[in-house]
Amino acid sequence: MGMDRTISNFIRALRNADVRVSTAETLDAISAVELVGYSDKEHLKRSLSMVLPKTADEKVAFDACFDQFFRFQDVRGESTNNGEDNGEQEGEESGEGGDGEGGGAGGDPQTQNRSKKKSKSKAKKNNLYEEEEEADLGPGEVTDAHSPLGKLLMANSRVELAQSMAEAGEATNVREIQIFTQKGLYARRIMDHMGLADLNREISDLRTDSRVPARRLGQQLKQRRDFLREQVRDYVEQQFMLNADVSGKRLREEMLRSVKLSNIEHRNFRLIQEMVYKMAKKLSTLHSRRRKIFKRGQLNVPKTLRNNMSYDGAIFDLYWKSVKVDRPKVFAICDVSGSVANYARFMLMFLYSMDEVMPKVRSFALSSDLAEVTELFNRNKLEDAIAKTLHDYSGGSTDYGQALLDFKKLCLDDVDNRTTIIILGDARNNHGEAHAEVLKELYDRSKRIIWLNPEAKLAWNTGDSEMRKYGAYSHQVEECNSLMHLERVVSNLLRQTG
Amino acid sequence: MGDIEKLAGSVASLQASFEEHRYICSDEIATAVFLAYQLRKPILIEGPPGVGKTELAKTAAEMFALPLIRLQCYEGLDESKAIYEWKYGKQLLYTQVLKEALNEVLGDAKGFRESVQALHNFGDIFFSEEFLEPRPLMKALKEEDGCILLIDEIDKADHEFESLLLEILSDFQLSIPEIGTIKAAAEPPSVFLTSNNTREISDALKRRCLHLYIPFPDVDIEQRIIGARVPEIPPALQKQLVAFIHELRNLDLKKMPAISETIDWARTLVLLHAEALDPQMVKDTLNVILKFQEDIDNVKSEVPALTAKVSN
Repeated sequence: MGMDRTISNFIRALRNADVRVSTAETLDAISAVELVGYSDKEHLKRSLSMVLPKTADEKVAFDACFDQFFRFQDVRGESTNNGEDNGEQEGEESGEGGDGEGGGAGGDPQTQNRSKKKSKSKAKKNNLYEEEEEADLGPGEVTDAHSPLGKLLMANSRVELAQSMAEAGEATNVREIQIFTQKGLYARRIMDHMGLADLNREISDLRTDSRVPARRLGQQLKQRRDFLREQVRDYVEQQFMLNADVSGKRLREEMLRSVKLSNIEHRNFRLIQEMVYKMAKKLSTLHSRRRKIFKRGQLNVPKTLRNNMSYDGAIFDLYWKSVKVDRPKVFAICDVSGSVANYARFMLMFLYSMDEVMPKVRSFALSSDLAEVTELFNRNKLEDAIAKTLHDYSGGSTDYGQALLDFKKLCLDDVDNRTTIIILGDARNNHGEAHAEVLKELYDRSKRIIWLNPEAKLAWNTGDSEMRKYGAYSHQVEECNSLMHLERVVSNLLRQTG
Repeated sequence: MGDIEKLAGSVASLQASFEEHRYICSDEIATAVFLAYQLRKPILIEGPPGVGKTELAKTAAEMFALPLIRLQCYEGLDESKAIYEWKYGKQLLYTQVLKEALNEVLGDAKGFRESVQALHNFGDIFFSEEFLEPRPLMKALKEEDGCILLIDEIDKADHEFESLLLEILSDFQLSIPEIGTIKAAAEPPSVFLTSNNTREISDALKRRCLHLYIPFPDVDIEQRIIGARVPEIPPALQKQLVAFIHELRNLDLKKMPAISETIDWARTLVLLHAEALDPQMVKDTLNVILKFQEDIDNVKSEVPALTAKVSN
């Protein structure tokens, strides 16, 4: 029972860390644990890592989660953990200083951080003050505690203490904890709810009491309060692992979705890539395989026999089978010139991810003329491919007309009714010849032309933008400068074919 | 059977036994086989080509003294190639031959209804197991004492084919419309699936399997592998060669040399009576470990530096 609970808690933590675990896999994990036990942690980890995570990313998440979770399980068993003092603890110290700042910190992590910084200096003062305190009074007679929390602490009942902690957790909605910076805040709220203020008042009153047993009570209460604080922190940590967005991923994803592509920081590259990957995958499912009956291929024996039964078993009509694989053919053209420099990286990233998901993507970069980068993409990793493309092709001013002519020369023969052409660019042609008739030719031959323009819709058709001309010969024209837009583009795609 | 149980009883005994069969495996690999046997689950093995995925299944078969039934996947593989096919030729021949006997079957049946009844009693013999041609998956289920079923390169098969596998993977049974459900013999097959990850395997399939990822081995394990596979190799060469391969894997290559290439290279160098790596010999034999001209050209200029580095 206890074992199952540990494992199901662990699986909850895993799910929180974005590892998908089905019920069947949970059962497998339980049998695996029954088999290998908890004693050899490495063995357990190896075993579970074959049962629960099923992709490379999930394995990484699993490793981190396992180490964290089972380390925590150990720490919980120890009674005290002195000598270690971190920021959260100091934050609390200031709260108990009685200036009322702690309660007002609110849910905003930034405010909280600031208050934490401020409190550091105060915590030092507190320490100075406490150092003047008299030496340990040792064991001996103590008076009774008066505050409710003090009584509870002196009652030596772990169960009641845990219960009170859980109640306080319930009351402060610790389940809603979302990001790691909130851990200190929730720990403090729970302490407050358990009656920390009264306890602190009692401790400071006792400190100045003339009776030794009363002062001794004060010291003991202080020790037990510190121990309680550890426990509360562990409790919050556990709740965090079970309930929160452990990696902070959801939060970042949410934020990224609405941030303009050009503003996204470098370090979030991977995350974006994943999102783009998901979308590109959606795109590729549009193109399915279908089975067709052809006058060639393998003899379809069952069908032939069945249909010839009426001819007295003599084979008369032959039926053939052959698998027709519908592979999407995608041509993607990306403007990398100066005018879209900010967006080019992300357009290219989309291009690159598409290339990875779909087998037959041919990619082109255009500025003053057009060049195929498919091979470059295949040979290089994402970052290198983008850097090289930008380096090699981003010079010069855009000439869409020339690019279309180039494209026609290179690929027109390959464009057929299964071809999708995606053009990423602002259609700013520097007042050159637009050659929209070439786009029309492509429009007539291809299945779909999608034009994604990074500029806001209002700016289209102003100045040297040829969006109106080109838009006429595109099946779908969309503004696209954030992932939200990209997502919309993809879902529109699905709607059109579905 | 007792032997298998004893062998698969612990990770350590498995590891030792694999080593006896000249397959050096990491703790992960041994744990996977251990769990697969104990939990009766298929293993899905992923990893770069040439790290010994297929070899693991083969060695397991050898080790447990079980027959190995192999299904090589490819695009367009379907149930008639993987599960079963009716023996159409035989059916056809028999219908022709039995035409004469039809009167006897019908006997003195009067009227249409009685004739049909008589034919019903005749049974569905044309769609019975006599006329069934079992393919690898069904063969595996019918092996009385169990077997190793290797479904190789599942990523090469179509997406739909994975769905065909689900029933056999989770319940060790197959449903054939004309006959019914065929269940595994007393001892179900141990299933190994391999994938080179050219595409994502569906979640449904993954859920039914243990998932083992075999990466390129670390220096220590690879040295032991070379020692087991090419025992006649001089120790100095063995060390340098593995170190060299590991250096290569750090370079930006189109295709990394895998374990199989390391072994081939070791054999080549032994044939050439090499005692240690020297730059000229490495240059001459690069085509054994690198499979693209581009890679060979790129590495050639680095060879002296790399050789010097691993010779220390």
